[in-house]
Amino acid sequence: MKTLNYRHNFGAFILGILFVAVPLSAEKDYISEDVLYGEELSGGSGISDPLESLNRYTFKFNDFLLLKVIKPLADGYQAVAPDPVEEGATNFFNNLKFPVRLVGNLLQGRLDGARVETGRFVINSTMGVLGVFTPADGIEGYEPIPKEDIGQALGSWGIGEGPYLVLPLLGSSNLRELGGLLGDRVVNPLDQPFSVMDSWNWEWQVGVNVTEFTVSSPSIVDRYVRLKGSAIDPYSSVKNTYIQFRRAAVAE
Amino acid sequence: MRIFKPFIAALFVLTFSTAQASTTEVSRLQGVIEAAVEALYGECCAQLDLNEKQKKVRQAIESEYELNVVIRRAIGRNWRLLEPAQQERVLELVKQLVVKAYVSGMNGKARPDIQLGEVIPVSDKRIEIPSKVQLDDKTYNVLYRLGKMKSGWEIYDIVAEDISVVSNYRDQIDDHFRKGTAAELITKLENLLTKEDLNEDVKL
Repeated sequence: MKTLNYRHNFGAFILGILFVAVPLSAEKDYISEDVLYGEELSGGSGISDPLESLNRYTFKFNDFLLLKVIKPLADGYQAVAPDPVEEGATNFFNNLKFPVRLVGNLLQGRLDGARVETGRFVINSTMGVLGVFTPADGIEGYEPIPKEDIGQALGSWGIGEGPYLVLPLLGSSNLRELGGLLGDRVVNPLDQPFSVMDSWNWEWQVGVNVTEFTVSSPSIVDRYVRLKGSAIDPYSSVKNTYIQFRRAAVAE
Repeated sequence: MRIFKPFIAALFVLTFSTAQASTTEVSRLQGVIEAAVEALYGECCAQLDLNEKQKKVRQAIESEYELNVVIRRAIGRNWRLLEPAQQERVLELVKQLVVKAYVSGMNGKARPDIQLGEVIPVSDKRIEIPSKVQLDDKTYNVLYRLGKMKSGWEIYDIVAEDISVVSNYRDQIDDHFRKGTAAELITKLENLLTKEDLNEDVKL
């Protein structure tokens, strides 16, 4: 009898919880506006920008350059270059940046990433005719992986971002990424100080650099125009986008 | 064992209702995305100008979701700095800006192919729905964050390629209020909405 009573009592207790707790929790069954709208956001918060006045001035200069000089160049390039040519040229220059991605992976101890990047470089440089095509995309184990660079490696070592910077012509950066950018230049075969073009005529060097820039200009302009078109304050929007993007790349 | 039956029944009801809610939310979001894409690329709307397309897209979204939720979250604590009339005005203007930017950004592009993934439960009141957008031979990852609010499941953030839309607008609005006023924000938004070309005021 005792057991039966216990069981009845326990059953009543459970039912009690279900019937009493449900109405009590009904108010907490959804997120209140105060909670949802008052939450601190992580992604792009806490950006140090002590040089804002100077950065805004440089941003304005870059804005002028992008929309008045580079955009017409990008539009012209897209108008004359058929899509396969555009794609092939982009692939070619991306392939040449293999050393940057390799070093980025190695500095973070990502040996598998280094293996994939090396394999992709070999396959695309040979079967893909100097990287114009990307046959590695279709080979199991050598599909594209997120691009790594030295700035990401510095971030993964725990080095702080430092102040936000807007660099003339180059755009958004910060002190850590500026260090990464200089490191990228050292290992990039097309950039100084160890450029493979050192022994070439200056006309050829300029030609290659202008071509590389022209090839990358449509995507740079497209991203910028989209961002500016939706922005209340384009400077702040670009700053936040850059920092969110780099933080996510470091965290990957 | 019998004493656990109520527990098991309650657990079953909770699990089943969460799974059902998840399936429903994916279908609901899919429906809204399809309606918005149809407004931009469908035969029905081929003759519409950009303003009319913006209206159609906005109708498609607002038929299921409350756009105010995303914008209120973006405004964050600055909400208290606005008078009630200013709050209404800012909500409306930011809505127009976001929809205008979306429609203009997609204009002239090929119709995107959008595939929604399975729901990722974050908590009993928050879920995420990942998606892959195939546009011009490129694939973009877009994540929809939904919260269970009094009115039902609402989108409270969209994260495109690791960039949170809410965080982006929150920073812009925070930056504005460090030096500017609510009235200046409204004027700025009104000017942005009347601007036809991004190049209009670009000068050194």
